[in-house]
Amino acid sequence: MSVQGDAGSAGAATAARPPIDRAGLAVIARRPVLVSPVDAFFRLHPGDRPLVQAGEAVGRGQPILEHHRDPRTIVVAGPVGEDGTAVPGDRWQGSPGEASKADGEGEVKPGGELLFRSGNRWRVAGGDRPDTLEVPFGGVVHDVQPGTGVTIRTTSSAVLGRSALAGPTWGRLHVATGPDGELRAQHVDVGAAGAIIVAGARMDAEALTRARAVGIRGVIVSALGIKEQRDFLASERRGRAAVHGLPPFGILVLDGAARRPIASSVMAVFEAAEGSMVAIVGDPPALVIDDPSVSLPKPAPGLVRVRSGPLAGAEGTFAGLAGPRRFPAGVTLEAAFVRFGGRPPVAIPIGDLERFT
Amino acid sequence: MSAPAGAHPDALAALLARRLGAIDPALAADLDIIEPAVADLPRLETVSTPPPTLAVLGASRRAIGLLEAVAARTPWRVRAASPESHDPREMTELALRPEVAAVLVGAGDPPGPDERGWLDDLAGLVGAVTRRRPELKVVLAGPIASRNAWAEGAGRPFDGTQPRIIEGPPLGLRSGPDEPLREILENLLPDSGDARQTAVRALLSLADTLDRRLELIDIGLTGGLRAMATPGVADQGPAAVAVRTANAALLPLEIDDAAVDAVLAWTTGSLDRHRMGDRLLDLRAQPWADASGDGARLRLAAARAAMTRLAQQTQDIGGMASPDVTIVSGGAFAVAPPRAVALAVADTIRRPGATQLAVDHARLLGPIGTIDDPDERRGLLADLADDLLAPLGSLLVVGNVPAGRRNTARVGRLTLDGDRHGRHDLSAGDVAFVDLPPGDQALATLEFRDSVRVGHRARRVAVPVSGGIAGLAVDLRDVPLRLPDRRDRRRAALAAIGELAWPGDER
Repeated sequence: MSVQGDAGSAGAATAARPPIDRAGLAVIARRPVLVSPVDAFFRLHPGDRPLVQAGEAVGRGQPILEHHRDPRTIVVAGPVGEDGTAVPGDRWQGSPGEASKADGEGEVKPGGELLFRSGNRWRVAGGDRPDTLEVPFGGVVHDVQPGTGVTIRTTSSAVLGRSALAGPTWGRLHVATGPDGELRAQHVDVGAAGAIIVAGARMDAEALTRARAVGIRGVIVSALGIKEQRDFLASERRGRAAVHGLPPFGILVLDGAARRPIASSVMAVFEAAEGSMVAIVGDPPALVIDDPSVSLPKPAPGLVRVRSGPLAGAEGTFAGLAGPRRFPAGVTLEAAFVRFGGRPPVAIPIGDLERFT
Repeated sequence: MSAPAGAHPDALAALLARRLGAIDPALAADLDIIEPAVADLPRLETVSTPPPTLAVLGASRRAIGLLEAVAARTPWRVRAASPESHDPREMTELALRPEVAAVLVGAGDPPGPDERGWLDDLAGLVGAVTRRRPELKVVLAGPIASRNAWAEGAGRPFDGTQPRIIEGPPLGLRSGPDEPLREILENLLPDSGDARQTAVRALLSLADTLDRRLELIDIGLTGGLRAMATPGVADQGPAAVAVRTANAALLPLEIDDAAVDAVLAWTTGSLDRHRMGDRLLDLRAQPWADASGDGARLRLAAARAAMTRLAQQTQDIGGMASPDVTIVSGGAFAVAPPRAVALAVADTIRRPGATQLAVDHARLLGPIGTIDDPDERRGLLADLADDLLAPLGSLLVVGNVPAGRRNTARVGRLTLDGDRHGRHDLSAGDVAFVDLPPGDQALATLEFRDSVRVGHRARRVAVPVSGGIAGLAVDLRDVPLRLPDRRDRRRAALAAIGELAWPGDER
């Protein structure tokens, strides 16, 4: 990092400075490597049907909700229900051909959820081809809100990310490249089919498409650009709308959009959990390590990571607060000394640092 | 001292106590600001919270437009849908989203021809939603609850006994209800002691204490605020007009092409849309990071885009006379160079006149506003008056400047008399910074060949100005600001002006 004024020559200047104050680590932003328990939320849209009840134990792969791949509003005239006393939120099951004549699929029984009644006609959210969503890890159903969502709680540990795209999904964890690597399309190996791969610092849209095509179930990446996100989500929408749908696939973005390596503390967890069953969930964006037998490492105390700026991704040891310092563009910021390897400490704005707990 | 979100206040307090102890141990001991005891000192705390979501449902696009215009001047994050653009399933899905805390539903009264066909569907839909989400708050603007479909959906007719369902003012055919409906929406917000809400209370007390008209412009990650406060006169207390809006957040929640373009329009660098989008995503995720170098310029560009949105939402405040003091606040300005902040205000708040600029550098207005007793608040503000705000200087925006024959031709002259003396030539379309240190006072006399507008039209204008760390800025550009449409020319124009604020900037 190029730093103006006294900060730039911090290494040389420290000889004349008073001894470094090692207190003050608490003002550096804290980032937990592992969290437990995790309450994962699975969205229920109008027309979707929960298949579980609160308090019920669920195992990995068990269907927890039913949703329609082609949701639409169905208009049903006249009374609905056994005695015509149906209320919004109740389920509705049509007779074969009732609402599917236009599709020429008279044998399909449309179903859905009553939305509201107006003018003696019910509006129903439903469709013809229900799919199920399977829970990607074992746990207990914590809450079910029809029309809103299902919450599943697990006591497993999870690595929190910045965002998750698509999913949920699960598979065995496979570390495909180093923390600073960038997995290209030609390096996506069919041997990783069924796995969730750790793909390093960044991945482009072509590699993501190939990963899905060869049967990889998920990708963990440090950064994913806005263009790659849009390309992937557009491809996901097209795939979901297709007749046969798509197998589960998810992307967990750990840090953000600009390229940077995976933090060593997080990478150590991935390496320890390699080969275990893991799951990517979207809310919260996290990788759930669904294997209690794995011994997960703890981060080293005093380790800090630069999360933005020219040194983004670099890791070092906290060496005390440096006080207000002047940085490029004439900006004065609170700074901390960080020692990278055996080199003299460098002053870095504390806003650019994070520590792991 | 400031630290990123997540740092514990106790750690900050201990650090400050240690620093004070190192500088003046006797004073620290006298004030009891010593490390074990500092945790027990009384504290004023406030927090800026993410905006809750308001679903706006209307019987027509016209109704949606009117309702959205009102809701946009509140801290709510607005999501809108009407039967003309969404089907009933999509509208129900919007209203049932877990993040939606309230629904504003409206139609014309009497319903317009474009609304009559949809009104029963809308009433049935919202009625059913109130039954399925008993905690959801609903504001009715129009003849919604009187429809039979409402009673069928809600399971009971609307009788006004449910406090969460509020009847708002009806929606006119050509104009929407403004202040009464805005007040209802503001009152629906959770009483969380939001920093921008309490800052308005502190601004009122400060205006009264200083006996000055004050304007506050706050841009933060979760929203923006513009408020104008006037001191009390005779028996009347101070008064304020304030608009808090989620639209003026440093960055919109969805970083789409429009959001990226709005920031790119204020940058002088060569980032393309995708790379700028990446930078904005990271800025939103970590707003306190990357605050130096390119990151500082990016932050100010995003702040300009946010202030432009704020100015559009607050044209009523923009139409008022220049305040005595304009205070800028919020994370966007917390660490920027003073001249860059002054220039950002001059670029976006285009009001001819003179105002003193100050920055709420320690972000104290919000916490002080948490004091309920106005007398106690005024007393504290009076004690802190000298340190509360950091003076940036003065800003003179001159409108209707006659164009010179050449770009560099002199069109007028500035004369300073007071703590500083001097004469400066003025050119049309220019911004001039004149050194005027903090604490200095002067009378600035502007003389032009033709009449200009500085509050009023005249050829010769004399205004008192105060110094600050940015000095005196005289802005002779067009009001409103006109920049070239072509991106290369626009960047060149911004870079030329930006050199005044970012010395040594190679771009």
